[in-house]
Order: sequence, then structure tokens, then C-alpha cells
Amino acid sequence: MKALEYIPGSTLLHKTNPIIKIVAAFLITAVCFITTNHFVILGILALTVCLAAFCRSGLWALRVLRSLCILSALLFVVQALCTQQGEVLFILPLGINVTLGGVLFSALFVLRLLACALPLALVFRVTKGIDLANALHKNLHVPYKFAFAISSAMRFVPDFIDEMHEIKEAQTARGAELDSRNPFKKIRLLVPLCVPLLLSGVRKAQSAAISAELRGVSLRS
Amino acid sequence: MLKFENVSFGFGTGKQPLLNNINFGLAAGEFGVLLGENGAGKSTLLRLCNGLLKPQSGTITVCGNSTSAEKTSLIAKSAGFLFQNPDRQLCQKTVREELEFGLRLHGKTDELSSECDEILEEFGLNPDDDPFSLSSGMRQYAAIASVLVCRPSLLLLDEPTSWLDATQTKTFLSVVKKRQQSGTAVLMITHDIKLANRAATRTFTLQQGQLSA
Ligand SMILES: Nc1ncnc2c1ncn2[C@@H]1O[C@H](COP(=O)(O)OP(=O)(O)OP(=O)(O)O)[C@@H](O)[C@H]1O
Ligand SMILES: [Mg+2]
Repeated sequence: MKALEYIPGSTLLHKTNPIIKIVAAFLITAVCFITTNHFVILGILALTVCLAAFCRSGLWALRVLRSLCILSALLFVVQALCTQQGEVLFILPLGINVTLGGVLFSALFVLRLLACALPLALVFRVTKGIDLANALHKNLHVPYKFAFAISSAMRFVPDFIDEMHEIKEAQTARGAELDSRNPFKKIRLLVPLCVPLLLSGVRKAQSAAISAELRGVSLRS
Repeated sequence: MLKFENVSFGFGTGKQPLLNNINFGLAAGEFGVLLGENGAGKSTLLRLCNGLLKPQSGTITVCGNSTSAEKTSLIAKSAGFLFQNPDRQLCQKTVREELEFGLRLHGKTDELSSECDEILEEFGLNPDDDPFSLSSGMRQYAAIASVLVCRPSLLLLDEPTSWLDATQTKTFLSVVKKRQQSGTAVLMITHDIKLANRAATRTFTLQQGQLSA
């Protein structure tokens, strides 16, 4: 699944000024951190999913949430065990208390994380990197160099993911058991793959910088 | 060795399939060359051969194993695959480690040094070079060598000569021909008609989802 890729389209959200979209996403992020009400954040999440559905990405939004859930579940458990506040709900073996305060606090924490990530991912999905760069430069007077750097970085994310996928395929085709179900085996096999990925990343960045310079963007000053 | 029976495949549902009801087989010692325009689906067909992609209908068998039933990492023991871009396959610090890495994945640790030396010699590779600092032709050689060293009984090559110069292409062809004559089945994608004519015992052309011999 491609989390940060631009998908062309002609919905209202696609046509909205990139600045408005980015500012809105940051406002949502701010609200998530200011409020301490779980239901407000849940509402924001639901609203974001609806917005995504409105630009034909509803399924995508749910899939992003699902894949973030694994990380969230982990964070939730760790937080809930580490925060000791209020009434004790039950006691785990080894005498670890699970408290009401801990559970509520970690739920808030995880919900905030999800509610911040999804709108930003949605912005990237409906905004072309170069449009964002142009808008940042024109409307917010961000120096073009920075705006250009941001949009280029965005463009590389899906490339990076595709490349990782290809490298995984190539190593599987050599007989590495990356298609095994055992997560420990997989992690051990994935380590050597970081080398080609990093190298090609560096190489790509270099050639992108050179071609930008050749076209008159001065990056070194 | 390799057999396609009524195989169809397409990316995404609803659209017209990229490969439509393909039937063909390749026996031991045959050198098949696959021709076709850009985007005809040649690389896709090759990915189907070792199970990186699974057919939507029909069956593909490699040395008696159905690709739908077996994991790619297992099929890899009999099918060597060279990607269009060698940088994707290389992942070790020296050329020798690169070759040994492949052998180890196949559990062939006792054959390490002798096999490697022979192949390094054939391609004129220096075992201590860093694969990523080599010229693109030599990098391709390193990738090819790391596939050949495992002695696969089916060789799948995706545009192996696009990074090689004329002399390197000749060397490459003679090495692969030698393998073919000792019983390896080869399926090679290329845009080079001259090379195709020199190498092939059979040629296939992929056009609008159909394969013609
Ligand atoms: N992962 C993918 N998802 C969706 N579409 C894909 C994917 N990979 C390839 N395609 C599409 O399938 C078609 C065939 O691709 P393929 O790489 O098999 O062509 P090819 O014959 O190897 O071309 P070339 O000669 O350029 O290597 C192309 O139109 C490509 O856009
Ligand atoms: Mg191809």
C-alpha cells in the first residue's frame, strides 16, 4: 500500500489551494494536541475518513489506519503499563497494575497519533508536490530553494518504497526467505538489504541535485 | 523445465489483462529468447516464472513445482533470476561475498571457493572489488555471476546485455551458451535482434497479451 503517494484526481480536495490543505492539516494536528477529550479526536478521525471517502480514498484511509494500528497497539500497551494513575482496574501477574488513568492516557496518546498522521497523509495524497512547492513560494514567500527541497523529498518517498519492494523481490528470487511468515527470520534477512537501498538513495539524491543545478537552481550557496 | 498452461495475468482488476491465455514450455538445454515492445509485459512474464507474481488463472510449473503452491524462495533453488537493474540484487561488500551470499542462501557452503573462482575467472572479475564501485558493465557481470554460481537449472534473464559493451556481450553469451549446452534451460529477454538470432534455439514474441513462437 502506498501511504504517501500523490494520486491524480479532479475532486474538490484535489483542486483546493495546497496552502489551505496544509494549514488545515496542521490546525487539525494542533486541535488534537490541545483537546483532552477522546471523543473530539475520534470525531476528527471519522471526519478525516469521510473526507478521504469523498475523494475516493476511503478504503485507502482505512488501510492506512489498519497498518498504523499495529504500531499503535504496541505503544498503547507500553504506555498503559508505564503510566500509573488513579483507580486500579486489574493486576497482571508479576504485580503490574493496570490503572484507569493509564489506560485513558495511553488511549488519548494513540488516538492523537492516528488523528495527526491521517490528515497529513491525505494532503500528500491529493496534492502534487510541485504545486505545494509553488504555493509555498508564492503565497507564503518561502524561499524557492526550500520549497523545492520539500517537494523533491516528497516525490522520493514513493520511489523509495517501490525500490524497497523491488530489492525484496530480487533477494527472494535469489532464495532469501523473505516470503516466510516468521518475523524474526525476515528481520535478520532484511538487514543486508539496507545497503543497496541506502546507496541508491544517496545516488538518486546526488543526481537529482546535479540535474536541478544544471537547470539553474542553486543549491550550494 | 518450465511450463505455462492457459496463464492469464493483469495488474488491477477490471482492466484488460496484460497476458492472455499463454501456453508454452521450455525444456532442458533450450535457449528461449523473448521479444516484445516496451511495456508488452516481458518482465511481468518473467516474474511469473519464478512466482514473484502469481497467475490469475492457469498454472505455471518450474521443475515440477507449481508457482502458485510453492514459495518463491523455494523455486529460487532451481530458477536463477537476473533483474533488469543489477543494483537491486547486489547487497554485499565485495564481489566474492556477493557470490558466496547466493550459495549460502541455497545451503551450498562446501562448494564456496572452487565454484566462485571459476566464475570470477570467466568474467574477469576481481573478487575483492566493491560491487557498487564497479562500472555498470562489471556490476552487471557481478550480478550475473552471483546467479550463475548457484548452478540453477532454469535461467531467467531480464535484458542482461543492456549494460554491457560489445566485447562483454560476447563473453556473456559464451558463458551462458556453455551452461545451456550442459543442460540448463535459458529464457532471456532482449531488444537486441542480432543477439537473439545468435543465441536462441527458440524465439517468442509477446504482442498484445499473446505469445507467438
Ligand atoms: N507493479 C505494477 N503495478 C501495476 N502495473 C505494472 C506493474 N509493473 C508493471 N506494470 C505495467 O505493466 C506493463 C508491462 O510492464 P513490463 O515491465 O512487464 O513491460 P516490459 O515488456 O518488460 O517492458 P520493457 O521493455 O520496458 O522492460 C506496463 O504497462 C507497466 O506499466
Ligand atoms: Mg522489462
